[in-house]
Amino acid sequence: MIEINNLVKKYSNQTVLNANSLDIPSGQTFGLIGNNGAGKTTLFSCLLDLIKPTQGKVLNNGVDVSKSEDWKSFTTAFLDETFLIGYLMPEEYFHFIGELRGLSNSQVDSFLVQFEDFFNGEILSGKKYLRDLSKGNQKKAGIVAALIGEPKVIILDEPFANLDPTTQIRLKGIIKDLSKYKDTTILISSHDLQDVTEVCERIVLLEKGEIIRDIRTSSATLKELEAYFKTRIN
Amino acid sequence: MFKMFLKLNWKEFNRGNSISTKLVAKIFKWFWIIYFAFMSVMIGIIASAYGGPTMEFPLEEDSAIPFLYVNKQMIYFFAYLIVMRYFIQTLPFLNIKSFLLTPLLKKRIVRFSILKTVLTYFNILPLFFLIPFSYILSKTDNFDTVSLVIWNINIIGLIYLTNFFNFLLNNKNSLVYTVGTILALTKALEYFSIIDFTIYSQEFFYLFYELPYLTVFTWLMVFWLYSYVKQYYLKGLYIDTGLQINISEAKVEEFNWLDRFGKTATFIKNDLRLLKRAKRARTAVYMGIGCLFYGLIFAFTDEIYGSTGAFFGYLFSTAGFLFMFGSFVPSWDSQYYPLMMTQNIEYKEYLNSKWSLMIIGTVISTILACVIYSFIGINAIYAVLSGAAYHLGVNGYLVLWAGAYTKSPIDLNSSANAFGDKKAFNAKTILVGLPQMGLPLLVYYFGNTYFDHLTACLLVAAMGALGIFLKPIAFSLILKAYKTEKYSTLKAYKSN
Repeated sequence: MIEINNLVKKYSNQTVLNANSLDIPSGQTFGLIGNNGAGKTTLFSCLLDLIKPTQGKVLNNGVDVSKSEDWKSFTTAFLDETFLIGYLMPEEYFHFIGELRGLSNSQVDSFLVQFEDFFNGEILSGKKYLRDLSKGNQKKAGIVAALIGEPKVIILDEPFANLDPTTQIRLKGIIKDLSKYKDTTILISSHDLQDVTEVCERIVLLEKGEIIRDIRTSSATLKELEAYFKTRIN
Repeated sequence: MFKMFLKLNWKEFNRGNSISTKLVAKIFKWFWIIYFAFMSVMIGIIASAYGGPTMEFPLEEDSAIPFLYVNKQMIYFFAYLIVMRYFIQTLPFLNIKSFLLTPLLKKRIVRFSILKTVLTYFNILPLFFLIPFSYILSKTDNFDTVSLVIWNINIIGLIYLTNFFNFLLNNKNSLVYTVGTILALTKALEYFSIIDFTIYSQEFFYLFYELPYLTVFTWLMVFWLYSYVKQYYLKGLYIDTGLQINISEAKVEEFNWLDRFGKTATFIKNDLRLLKRAKRARTAVYMGIGCLFYGLIFAFTDEIYGSTGAFFGYLFSTAGFLFMFGSFVPSWDSQYYPLMMTQNIEYKEYLNSKWSLMIIGTVISTILACVIYSFIGINAIYAVLSGAAYHLGVNGYLVLWAGAYTKSPIDLNSSANAFGDKKAFNAKTILVGLPQMGLPLLVYYFGNTYFDHLTACLLVAAMGALGIFLKPIAFSLILKAYKTEKYSTLKAYKSN
């Protein structure tokens, strides 16, 4: 589904991303881990054509993202709060995203029903604008908005951070269901090794912009990753 | 302490994004300040021998009339001062949160923030009028120099009263509505000649000349208001009171009637919500309404400014919303630009929706302007319509094109600086801005000189009509600019 060839991003002389080749097949739940500054967000931004790579290209379902805008019809993302429109109410925001994805307001409303638990009664019909919600609730709204319209590719940057434990567990369930029943390709980055190993079928470890490990998740993966990061302490 | 704060302010300016843009903006700002200072001096000199439109100018020396006349008009000066301050003056209260936990006395933070405004150009510029005016008057034998000085001290005190009053205005909406209503009522009563406030104005301000001890009272008021504002801000220095952005109860607004316009409507709906809910964006609408009346300034002054001057007034009257909203495309969306760039929309649709909204705004402005200027006559209507055609056909594209290069993010929660602010200016923006007004004026001038008013208007309108036919070409050029600028725009918006 996603092919990365020789993707390099340099700022002046510093290389922040240097991914030789990465191929993410359709339907895979893909986890990206690494310390701060490893290049996770840079990689996601390149995938979404938010920054221009110095070299190389990204193909999303065969579409070169920097050349054509066709990938936008089947790709969604939530990277940070810049994906939220502060002066809208959550309902209006979902409707807006839905309209852009060709859904009517009532279709969006019925889609949202399944997230009632996830929202915990704090998001819908709360008479608040998105800008006035707490950080955690903003994140919930952003993540759910990224699920609207049956996208084939979903990119989430640190989806678990800032969420309460119950919500984290629910979100993991949602992600697992998506990959199981809908054949959705999901890309996640995280700092939490446990979360990623629990959810993702495949984990790629970035350091200083380079791909250090590329692991199929198994019961031994968590130990392996923990061992790796321990060696980094010195 | 003061020095440290000033240093921080300097770094904030110096290290912010797009420093060159800010520099150009600063230069522009100073250009205007110097221009206004110069004009103030000139008006001060003229006013010292001017007794109103019915008197002969210059008045013979040793007349007391000019002083009375200035006192008569003083009420307008203060009314405009309050309004201009509210819309334009920035209050230095932005980055206060990070200081709360530092071992600084809260009092000092507040004092610095408030006292910094003492030297703002709003307080200094009036001196450029007052000093030459009073100096010339004191040279005549009609006035007591000491009393004149005291009169000045009082006027300056009143200016500072408006300075501190502005802090309250910016924080209390109810106060804004009250003051707005009073000003509007005053204007209405005067316009329909029910009450002539200038008589009272003259008597009131003349008192400061006659009764020197009023000075004590005036300046006591100034200090009282200053300490009141200080207390007000001290109380507000908690993150759940003054530092919190006011949460208003939200209401769902669907604007379903727009749905027939397809994807364009999706965005227009959002922009309507933006205009309704973000204070900063609302200012654009108010400015647009304000500009509608711009033509009145030139309407009856054909002999002074010539018909081209009058045409400029009409041209500008329908452009307010177009410029105020359009100049900040795509900055309105700066806070969520990454979202816009990854959603299932093409740039073309996005731009088309912005353009459509500008067109809708201009059409509404045109209808209103036609109503307003219908009192003046058919020639005014011709001018308004031809100007509107030019805006629709040419300026809409130009404003949009300039937007591709305006990479200053807008904080939607702050209202200040809708006019001539650093956020608006950019060298390229100015270059694009020139033909927006210059070209139609030139065409009108030649048309009017060699033919007549109607032909000149038709020529301007023809340019607009041509622009409307060339929309596909114009849009593909604009699109190209936006696409090449996309990444640097995203980057600029990020470093908010």
